[in-house]
Order: sequence, then structure tokens, then C-alpha cells
Amino acid sequence: MNAPEYDFIIVGAGHNGLVAAAYLAKAGRKVLVLERRPFVGGSVVTEEFAPGFATDAVWTGGNLRPAIVKDLGLPLPAPTRGRPLISLLDGDRLELGADPKQAAETLRRFSEKDAKRWPEFAGFMERAATFLDEAYATVMPRLPKGTDWRQGLGLAELGIDLRLMGRKDMLNIIRMVPMTALEFLEEWFESEELKAALASVAMHGVTLGPMSAGTGFTLLHNWLNRSGPAHVNAGKAGEITGALAQAVQRFGAEIRTDSEVARLLVGPYACDGVQLASGEELRAGAVISAVDPKRTFLGLVGAVNLPPEFVWQTQSIKMRGSVSKLHLLTDGSHGIPDGTLVLAPSIKYLERAYDASKYGEVSEQPSLEVTTVGPVVSVHIQFTPYALRNSIWNEQRPRVEDLALNSLAAHFPKLKSSIKDRRLLTPVDLESIYSLTEGDLNHGQLMLDQFLFMRPMPGWSNHRTPIDNLYLCGSGVHGGGGVSGAAGRNAAKVILGGARNLHRRN
Amino acid sequence: MNRYDAIVIGGGHNGLVAAAYLARAGKKVVVLERRHLVGGAAVTEEIFPGYKFSEFSYVVSLLRPEIIRDLDLPRHGLKILPLPSTFTPMENGDYLAAWDDHDLTRGEIQRHSPKDAEAYDAYSRLMARMAKAIKPLISMVPPDPSSLSPRDLMGLLKLGRYAAGLKEKELYQLAKLMTQSSGDLLDEWFETEALKGTKAASGIIGTFLGPRSPGTAYVLLHHYMGEIDGAFRAWGFAKGGSGGVSGAIASAARALGVEIRLNAPVQQVIVKSGRAVGVALEDGEELWAHAVLSAADPKRTFMQFIERRHLPDDFVNSIGAFRVRGSSAKVNIALNALPDFTALPGEGPLHRGSISISPSVDYIERAYDDAKYGEVSRRPYIDIIIPSMIDPDMAPASQHVMSCFVQYAPYDVDGGWDDAKRDSLGETVISTIEQYAPNIRKAIVGMQVITPKDIEAIAGISGGNIFHGELLLHQIFFLRPAPQWADFRTPVRGYYFGAAGAHPGGGVMGAPGMLAAKEILKDWGERR
Repeated sequence: MNAPEYDFIIVGAGHNGLVAAAYLAKAGRKVLVLERRPFVGGSVVTEEFAPGFATDAVWTGGNLRPAIVKDLGLPLPAPTRGRPLISLLDGDRLELGADPKQAAETLRRFSEKDAKRWPEFAGFMERAATFLDEAYATVMPRLPKGTDWRQGLGLAELGIDLRLMGRKDMLNIIRMVPMTALEFLEEWFESEELKAALASVAMHGVTLGPMSAGTGFTLLHNWLNRSGPAHVNAGKAGEITGALAQAVQRFGAEIRTDSEVARLLVGPYACDGVQLASGEELRAGAVISAVDPKRTFLGLVGAVNLPPEFVWQTQSIKMRGSVSKLHLLTDGSHGIPDGTLVLAPSIKYLERAYDASKYGEVSEQPSLEVTTVGPVVSVHIQFTPYALRNSIWNEQRPRVEDLALNSLAAHFPKLKSSIKDRRLLTPVDLESIYSLTEGDLNHGQLMLDQFLFMRPMPGWSNHRTPIDNLYLCGSGVHGGGGVSGAAGRNAAKVILGGARNLHRRN
Repeated sequence: MNRYDAIVIGGGHNGLVAAAYLARAGKKVVVLERRHLVGGAAVTEEIFPGYKFSEFSYVVSLLRPEIIRDLDLPRHGLKILPLPSTFTPMENGDYLAAWDDHDLTRGEIQRHSPKDAEAYDAYSRLMARMAKAIKPLISMVPPDPSSLSPRDLMGLLKLGRYAAGLKEKELYQLAKLMTQSSGDLLDEWFETEALKGTKAASGIIGTFLGPRSPGTAYVLLHHYMGEIDGAFRAWGFAKGGSGGVSGAIASAARALGVEIRLNAPVQQVIVKSGRAVGVALEDGEELWAHAVLSAADPKRTFMQFIERRHLPDDFVNSIGAFRVRGSSAKVNIALNALPDFTALPGEGPLHRGSISISPSVDYIERAYDDAKYGEVSRRPYIDIIIPSMIDPDMAPASQHVMSCFVQYAPYDVDGGWDDAKRDSLGETVISTIEQYAPNIRKAIVGMQVITPKDIEAIAGISGGNIFHGELLLHQIFFLRPAPQWADFRTPVRGYYFGAAGAHPGGGVMGAPGMLAAKEILKDWGERR
């Protein structure tokens, strides 16, 4: 048999696939990236739905890890602080600017005490987020036994970092992770409006409420991804993946769009290539999947090629998407200010919105997050569960649109009349268009039992799989969730081998 | 006269266990109990003439076997009668039961789902294995990972060795169990709603979380840690009710020389130059000792008995943030006839076991939904046992007592608890049971409704939380009751803490009392 044409084939040209490809190509490997859609980006994409109607379709903006920007020489601006987070209240607004001092000033109106604590809170969150970032940049080894002891170095280093943060920060971070967002925020603040606004950050993209344990962690995770409470670089998601694609090509790798992978070519527990939907077969030394773990294993590999217990574990991965996106092209007179606007007037409001999703229903009073880029308004709607119990998605589409628009109309009376075109993406659309299984933005819920060495599932957080020469590099693995690119970078490090790579962060 | 080696505040089972262990080491010990009887939340009282109730805590399983052995409790009257079955009536008129016999139980599950019957054994094995795996942690003083003291470093080393002793798979299973929701855990294994509901119920007891909230699988595991005669996950009923357990421990303690003073409420712990040297009773009497151990809940221990100025700010903040949200109520009912379940009519083995109103995970989750917005569950989870069927001495001949553990009834119910709310809680419980056993209303001779507020007032537990503080992930092990203070010591020298609010937590377990007593002895051994 001939030698394979490529060293590596990467399935999926989302940001993590492209990051992995760029690192491997930079290291001199022959790499091919295959993308199902006509353009790169995956769910980090600025998409043109109609002429003049372009917006970040799934993920709003984001920041790649600075180390990736530096390593790959990406022409991206330095990380910016976000625009303000604005909570829409009944006849009022709570505005949290990016500058802690300014934010404290505006908080005064709600609580003198909270205003005083805000700079301390912002400082703690930044330190805690920095630690989480380090954890994400560390490859999670298989835990015990028989493995190379050097694999544990990354973990040891991480433990030392945590201890060096000081006793108080260390214990506070450990405590925060399993807490409910509400419990955590109650320890800091008294203003209901402030607590709810911040809790909405914790719930972004996850199917949990502010009273669910583990939302302390999601608050931290989302805070890290945004470098604060509000979205950054809205409207520029496509620039990120565009810059990555250019880097991939600059380093000599090939990207083929309109090339859907139908299945992976798996021999007896080893993978040596892919078969495209067109029937074409491509061979490589190894295949790296940037697709979510459920789709990778149950779809592309096939359950018959995997050990039964592993199949069971894969089936147990919780995806549970509940986000719909409503993009609106307006004539510009929508009246919505710049920034990240949230409809999260109270903790109970958010919790009730979540309650519906537990029983497979669309929230009557959804939690909304709105960002605008010029005339285009994007509404992130929660909770609209993928798995509806007593209806089907085609029936619910108009209702979701109405619920979102009516909730916003109360705050922005001009919005409805300014709409010229619209595009609703339900969890079912997110699955069919962006290959996000069950519409889960993070390739797997950000829950404590799918965190650290348990992401995507216990024992397989090190990017390897039960099949030789098949690796995972997407958001579903440790480091993933959000737009950081850490999972793609870690995968490349593991694949390029050398234990030295594993504990070195930068 | 009033000088002791150690004073124990609170004559609940943990206080008594601690006192007994100290006396066993030759120390002079006094236990101060606020009420007229020992037991705390493990008491038996004759609420209606002739009808005796385990007023609060009503089953045993978690009591550590080493305590039973060390204190020779059977000789002091401890007798645990098995509670052999669990019966779950379903909303469709059918039922699900786990009987005393493995084959019968399997056959019963098979009737609902062959797949579940298949999974049942593997699931039971997993839980037993996990309970065994976690056992060493229960009898360990949690090391503080942020500390560099030799004692904590040794503890961490011990913890590391413990983890290294587990198989890779066990470690992962344990990590998952610690972080999952009980609903998700059970969804992975089973499809029968009544089975999942009944199992998930263990994950919410004493906790203000629903079965869909992460962290509840750990609470479920906590309830699997019980052993009776070496058999894991065996629940039993103490002869004479829960007061029988406390009575046996008290008797053992007295035999070892412990003085137990009833009707002796403590006003304050006396602190001199940063050291606890005694206590002042509410009537002004003062008692002196080298050490004071509180077996009250953390809030009382640190916010009531000790003056604020003796405690550092961080510690006070941590105790202030410690969650003690009561979520459970108890309804004790005297009956002149057994409840007759339409799903399985007539008197039968079901009446000698536990009867669980938990038809599905959603049912319990909806019960929680009501409670989290400040209401009593419209359709609550109820765990029923009929002690008179197990121990006939609990009720007059041919009469019965029925114990109903109810969740959720929030401590902070909207508008606060009053007589009308208490009555309506009782009515909710009756009407819920009535759906499955329509004769219940007519059979009632007397009924006592205990709200979380009542648990607080009678048993003296802040917030009415049956575990003295929820078993949340950020409130267990080295974080229980507060970071840096999980070793049973407190910021006040000579003041120790050994009750359910300390590691390893609640249930009639006795481990916190025993571990705290051992730490006191360790401190003395080092100094003398």
C-alpha cells in the first residue's frame, strides 16, 4: 500500500480544528483540513444570511488565547475589554462598564455596599479566570497508573500555581466551582438586579439555572471567555477563524471546503483516513476530529467499531442544547445601545426560564441576551430545549420569535417596526447547519461531571481515543467550550509528542 | 465540683458519642442538654398517649460499626430491626417494590422493564463498591490543602495514597458520582420512572436541591454508606425508635462515668485569653473544663455560644455563608388502621418496609420547583414507615404509628410559618397519601406536623436542616463547616466542634463526635 498522502487529516474547520492544523503545519507536518460547509469557521463565523445581513451566527465574537495569537503570528488585535453589560430592568437599566471603577460608580444607585465590593469582586474574578485559563492550557492526563509520570507534571504545576495564589484565593476558587451562581453571588452582593445580571452570564450557553449547583464554575468559564461580564469583539467572529485559516495556509497546509466527511476509515482499532460524502477516500497517518465527541464516535466512527462500555459512556455525554439565535436585519432605527444587553431582571425570572427546559418546554419568559453590530441585532434566547416533549420544533418556531420580540418590545418600542429581515436558528438548526449535536454550543454541557479530566468523559481528556491514530481537538475535550482555542492547541501538543510539551504552558 | 476535663454541649447522638469516647480515655466529662431528654434529633416521644414516635430522625443505617463495637452498644440495649422492603405506588395504579428477596425484587423490576432488571445488579454493585471506596474518607480528619503544616501535609499524603489505591475506573466513577445529579446518574442506568424516582429521592434528603441539580448523586451515595452487620445500604429501625439509639449511647456513656445534665441550656462558652475554659448556663451557673466541645449546629456553635470578638472575620463570614436551609418536614400520625394501598390491597410485607411516594424524577423535581420559590411542595416526596409494624411496642395493640418524612417544606416559606401553614402542610401530606391509600383519612387518630421551624425550635437545629448544614460539594470534607477548620478544632483554643455540621456530616452516624473526641485526646497527648 502506498504511503498516506497526509500526515494528518483534520475533520472540521472550526476554530479548534484550524488552531490544531496551524500548529501541526507550523511544525512541518503535511496537513489537510476538511470542512463540510462552503466556508471555514464552524460556529465561530460571521455569516451573511442575505446581502447586507451579516452577523456572528452562533458565537458572538470572542478572544483566542493570547499565546495562540502570538505563536501563530495572527493579525488579530490585542485582547480588548468588552463593551458594557447592560441589564434591562422595568423602566431602568443597570450598566456594568468594563472599567471596574466606573462600574462601581454606576452600581451606587442600586447598592452602596455592592458598589464598594465591585472592584474587589472584579479583581477576584480576573485572578480566578486566569487560573482557569492555565488549567485549560494544561493537558489533562489520564489519571493514574502505568502512565508516564511526566504527564502528571502539568497537573502538579497547576496545583502549585493554585497554592501560590494564596490561601484565601485558593480556597475561594475551590469553593466557587461547585456552588450555585446564586450562592456565590450572594456572598458578594445584595442587589437583586446585580446578582441576576451576573447570573445570566453564568447561564450563557448552558442548560442550568442560577440555582443549579456548578453554575459557579460556568460563571467563571464564561467570564474567562469574555475577559469580563460582556461579550468582546461582537461581529468579528469571522475575523478570528479567517485569520486562522490564512495562517494554516501560510504554514503550508491545505483546506478543502464543501468536503463533508461521511465516515472515518477505521481498521481493527486504528484509523487511517476518511471517506468523503462524495465517496472519495483520503488517507493519513492520523485523523484529528474537531467535531463534537458524540458525532465523532457514534456518527463518524460508528458504535460497532468501539468497545461497548465506551459507547455507553459516549451516549451518556450530556449535550442538551437549549439556545436559539434570532438575527434581525433592521433599518438601523432599532434604538438598542451598543454592548451586551441582558433580559435578566431577577434570579427567579432566570430560574423560571430554566425550569421550562427541564420538562422539554420553551420558556414563556425567556432569558435574552442582545448584541448589535450596526443595523443587525442578534438575540440569544434561552431556554428553548432541543428535545421538546409535547410539540415539535416546526410548531414552536414562530412562538419563539414572538416571545423574544415581545419581551424586547417593552424596552425598545421601535425595534419591531425597524425589522427588514430575520433569521431564526433553533437548536435543531444549530445541529443541522453547524453540526452541533443537540444544538449544544459547547460540544457538551459545561457541568462538573464533564469538567477537567472528565471531559469529554472520564479517562479520555488527553485528546486520545480508544482508536489508535484518532484524536479529538474540539470544544468537547478539556480546554474547550467557548472561543479560546485551547483544546486545539493542547491536541497539537499531545500529537507532536514529547512529554516536555505536556507540562509547558506557553 | 464544677471542674471537668471536658464539657460537651448538646446531648444529641454526636455529643453523647464524643463524651463516651473521652470518658473511655479516662477523662471526666459532663454533657449539657437543653431539653428534658437526651437524643437531640434522635429521640422517641409519646406524642399521643400510648403512641410513640421517633419524632425527627426515624431510621438508622449510618451509625458507624466501630462506634457500636467500641461502646458495646448492643449490651446497652441497641437493637436494630431490619426494614426489608421499599414500596413505591405509581400514578397509574401500579406499584414498584424492592422486596427482602433478591430474586423477587428482580422479578418485580423485570415486570416493568427487563432492561432495568438487567442493569439493577450492576448498579447495586457499583454503589456498594463506591460506598466501600469512600469509607476511608469518612473516618479521616480532612486535611487542609492550603496548609503547609506537617499534620495537613501528612493528611494529604494519606489522601494521595488512598487515591492511588483505587483502580483507575473506580476513581473516575467516584469523581463522577461526586459531581453528577442523581437524575442524570439514574438516567444512565434505568428507564422505569418509579425506580428512578425512588432511587433519586435519596439524593435530595436534607438538601435544598432538586434531583436534576448537580451534586445530588453525592447525597445519594451518602445514604448508601450505611452498614448493618457489614451489609451496605441496609436501613433499619431501632427498637424503641430513634430514642433507642440515643438511649443506648447515653447508657454506655454513663457506664463509662459521663455525667449527663438535662434541662441545662448553655448561655455562653467562657473564653479567657483566647482559650475556652468553661461554659455559663442560662441560669447563671458556671462550669469549668480544659476543653469544651460543641455538638450543636455550626451557627449556634460559633454565632451564639461564642462572642463575636473571639473569632476572625474570615471565619465568621464562612460560618455566615454556611448553608443550613431546612427543606424537610415530618408528619407523625397515629392510626387505628393500616393504610390500604389500592395498588396492592390488604395487609402485607409492604407495611413492614419503607413506602415511598416518588413516582418519577420529574415528580420530585416539580416538588423542588415549588419549594425554591418559597412554597411547600403541592405534591411532595414522602417517605413513610410504620414503626408499629416493626416494633409493636410503639403503639397500643392493633393501633399504629406512621412516620412521614416530607420534602420539600422550605424553612423560609413565603410569609413565614404559622398554624394555618402547618395545618395546610398536614393536609397536603394526607391528600397526597390518600391518592394511593384512600382509607388513610378515616384511620387518623392523631397527627403531629413538624415544620423546619419546629425542628429548629424543638431540636435546636438552626434553619431546621436535618444534616446541620446541607451536603453540598462546597460544604463537605475539608470545607465543612469552614475552609481551614475542618479538623474539629476552632479559632478558639480549647473549643472543639463535633456534630453533623462537621466532617463527614449528618445522619445518625456518630462519626463527627467520635473523630472530634479523638482529636481532643490527640491535642492533650501532645501537650502532656
